[in-house]
Amino acid sequence: MARSSGRGGVPPAGRRLVAASAVLALGAVTACGGDGGGDPDTLSLWIMEGTNPDAASYAAELGAAFEERTGVGLDVQFIQWADAHDRITTAMAGGELPDVAEIGTTWAPEFGAAGALADLAPRIEADGLGEDLLPGLYDAGTVDGATYGMPWYAGVRALLYRADVFAEHDLRPPTTWEELREVGLALREAEPEMIPFPVAGGSEYGLDPFIWGAGGEIAEPDGDGGWRATVNEPEAVEGIAFYTSLATEHGLSVAAAETWLETDQLESFQNGEAAMVINGNWTVTTLVESDPGWAERIGVVPIPGPEGGLSPSFVGGSLLGDFQSADPDLAWELISLMTQGEFAGRWAESSGYFPGRQSLVEEVRAAGEPLVAPFARQMLEAGASLPVTDRYGTIQGEQLLPRMLQSILSGEATVREAADEAAAAMDETFAG
Amino acid sequence: MNRTGPWRRLGLGTAVAALLAFTLFPVYWMVSSAFDPGADHRGAAVLPEGVTLDHFRHVLDEGDFGRYLVNSALVGLGTVLLAGLLALFAAVAVARFRFRMRTKVLVMVLIVQMVPLEALVIPLFLQMRDLRMLNSLLGLTVVYLAFSLPFAIWTLRGFVAAVPRELEEAAYLDGCGWWRMFRSVLLPLVAPGLVATSVFAFIVAWNEFVFAFVFLQDDGKYTAAVGLHRFFGQYSTDWGAVMAGSTLITLPVLLFFVAVQRRLSAGLAAGALR
Amino acid sequence: MPAEASASSGQGGAPALAHARGARRAAWTRAARPWLLLAPALAVLAVLLLWPLVRVVLLSFQNHGLRQINTGESDYTGLDNYREILGDPFLWKTVLPNTVFFAAACVFLTLLVGTLVALLLARLGRTWRVVCSTVIMMAWAMPAVTGTYVWIWIFDPLNGVVSGGLDAAGAIEPRETNWFTDRWSFYAIATLNVVHHGFPFVAVTLYAALLTIPRELPEAALMDGANAWQRFWRITVPTIRPVFAVVTILSTIWDFKVFAQVYLMPGGSGANPEVLNLGVWSYIQSFSRNEYGMGSAIAVLLTLLLLALTVGYVKALAGEGEEP
Repeated sequence: MARSSGRGGVPPAGRRLVAASAVLALGAVTACGGDGGGDPDTLSLWIMEGTNPDAASYAAELGAAFEERTGVGLDVQFIQWADAHDRITTAMAGGELPDVAEIGTTWAPEFGAAGALADLAPRIEADGLGEDLLPGLYDAGTVDGATYGMPWYAGVRALLYRADVFAEHDLRPPTTWEELREVGLALREAEPEMIPFPVAGGSEYGLDPFIWGAGGEIAEPDGDGGWRATVNEPEAVEGIAFYTSLATEHGLSVAAAETWLETDQLESFQNGEAAMVINGNWTVTTLVESDPGWAERIGVVPIPGPEGGLSPSFVGGSLLGDFQSADPDLAWELISLMTQGEFAGRWAESSGYFPGRQSLVEEVRAAGEPLVAPFARQMLEAGASLPVTDRYGTIQGEQLLPRMLQSILSGEATVREAADEAAAAMDETFAG
Repeated sequence: MNRTGPWRRLGLGTAVAALLAFTLFPVYWMVSSAFDPGADHRGAAVLPEGVTLDHFRHVLDEGDFGRYLVNSALVGLGTVLLAGLLALFAAVAVARFRFRMRTKVLVMVLIVQMVPLEALVIPLFLQMRDLRMLNSLLGLTVVYLAFSLPFAIWTLRGFVAAVPRELEEAAYLDGCGWWRMFRSVLLPLVAPGLVATSVFAFIVAWNEFVFAFVFLQDDGKYTAAVGLHRFFGQYSTDWGAVMAGSTLITLPVLLFFVAVQRRLSAGLAAGALR
Repeated sequence: MPAEASASSGQGGAPALAHARGARRAAWTRAARPWLLLAPALAVLAVLLLWPLVRVVLLSFQNHGLRQINTGESDYTGLDNYREILGDPFLWKTVLPNTVFFAAACVFLTLLVGTLVALLLARLGRTWRVVCSTVIMMAWAMPAVTGTYVWIWIFDPLNGVVSGGLDAAGAIEPRETNWFTDRWSFYAIATLNVVHHGFPFVAVTLYAALLTIPRELPEAALMDGANAWQRFWRITVPTIRPVFAVVTILSTIWDFKVFAQVYLMPGGSGANPEVLNLGVWSYIQSFSRNEYGMGSAIAVLLTLLLLALTVGYVKALAGEGEEP
């Protein structure tokens, strides 16, 4: 908060001073001054809480390294994912943004279009980093040649399955969509208490691979610099139809899953109910940490394509954005420190994510660790990004795809109707 | 008023049992999960897997909950004191004086409560920034004071109005000044109302999340409600920690209530004594 | 203001003039005293709530997106936001009925349970009273977020306690049941949650009001030969009525604005548009869709709705001769 970005009328230095003295004065009154903030020789950094169990010691060492390198201190604040978007927006309204912050991939176009983020493309080019940045993640932060977020760490979803249950019934993980359905039906017979493949209505990330795998897209550039929805075109509809039919026709899911989020779906896997789920690489770390026995019980394969091969999966993760820092050189210095070398690798390792560098992910794939390498393969061979436009953030905020999924799963609408409705709502937002 | 026939006892007993069951069931779930080593995958189990203090330890050590509870307590007590004082003055004004715009003032006090708080986040943030009160517990206290004043004023107005004017006049006849009358007649009689408003103000300040999170930029100043949200992750929730944190949040409110609730009967005694 | 009117009536001669001046000063002091008493509270409310409220109203006439948030520019579009909202059948068919019926049910049940509990507390002996009041405080003190998640768990269609019980009784098939997708059952669960969290406030406040009944009154009535029912209507009801009125007005205001208890429910954050209420809709427009002008306009409409209700209510009170 100290070196906020100098938006608004008051010159930043003056405002900082006033704010600092006010904070100190009030702190004294309430007898809880803490560190008081307001030291002008610090750079502020917001990191999301909960991704990394070692975050506190990481922050301390990062701060020390940064101070050693630049002579400037680092003020790290942890904020919660669930509320981070609101907090950044509010801070933006008040001109109280940090210098650098971790942001979700779909936020980069949003905040970038609003003018709140600095374009990092020239710096990435100057340092010759572009080649090695992870494509899915790099693309997600790049709009019309401007890069609003530097890839920090990446995650991807693949198919997790219960290796022990599969072994017991002599089943093999699916390599085509047909096999996915067959193995699900076999599980339904063999393990009637389990949920073969929950279709979570509250999450679009389980659906995306099927739209992409069928050759569809959620939306495409319309050629005039705008976007248009393609979620109701035949290929996409085919993917949606297959994915939802697993629940509606083949009974591989349960009604409760119509309103599940990804977390609920993971919980059902963790509770031993779900036999297969589409979930992220980070969950493997979480599961094994909670009970080392999981390492024996899980298997991972990339999400199969319709006739073999892979279905693309969304490359998620985090970017580091420079919120128009008053000192862009220092901000870039910090971003570089975090995304290259020791600190990048360390964060990825202790958080269970991949570093945002292609070469490093390739090393992981080559190492062939059974619970990690399939994710690396998914990411390198079939990683995809959602439509890169600030409007897609709005569409996600509106939950248009979960809305479509839920209405199909609960039987309120046919696939066709629901997809048409979603496309219409999307086009309205794209036009709007 | 306690005439206790067997039917009456039975009726009361049933009512108490129903009340306790309805109230405690969710509370039981919270507390038992806080002690459950398998809280993250409890599913439908009515009984916890076992008993452990790990979640509490985790919340207090790594979650830094101790500090947050102290912050919350400072904010909560500050809010209670200020709200009680300011609201009592205002309540006396509207209940005991007749002046132009009285009804308008009362309605105005309610109107400011009507906007959904979520819509106020950004405007209030700008306001607090202009007042240079962001990132301070005192600033947060003042915000909660504003949230609890409308209820406090309206409620205390009812309590003040319920005090018979004859009592006040009797005090004046005895030669008391206004202040003396206020202290020895009015105050004891509205004490139950003050208790109710204190409890209300305390809980408002204690449980509020959005403003605390947005206004406090320094995570050392977070209140307990903000601290609780740390355990809701993007991809998974640490249910054991959430429930342990919630239990820790609930406890001090109970202590506060037990501490002030005796004033409820004190008010009764005062009413009987006069 | 009858008292003030008589103050300036003394006129004539010099001593009378001095007297009049003194009387005027006294009158002025008397007129100023209520305002002095009100000043601190009104100042806090004006600065922290009234002015931000004015800002919300100003925002509601603007197209205010992230860009405007970032640059601080304003882009006034007149009544466009209101036109769009009021012309949207979604408001009339879904959001408004959800808000009104849900709030009405919550207010009614909260008041009913709260009043009954307050009366119960007044009839209990000391020990049980302390036990019961402390226990209901737990329901109030429990963070709303936690409470909501616990209720969701209780009604979890697959593993919850309720579904388990109904399954055992053969009433439902858990694997094919989901209460959260249906508007009615969704709101039934939300109502239970809101009532559970809200009734202790009513109970404690009304119980405090019951304590202000001077003991002599029921005893005097007893001697008059009034039975319990008559005593209740003649003594208890009039005494707690002002406080009951406050509790009703405030419960109404709060229950129209319910946010977290709906937003956090499965499907409540927008995936199931059938279950949106005005508070959640306003939030989604603002923070999820980044249309802060639109969100503010919804908030203003909600405020106006509540204002109409409250004014009506205050008028009705005044009509009963019970001046607010």
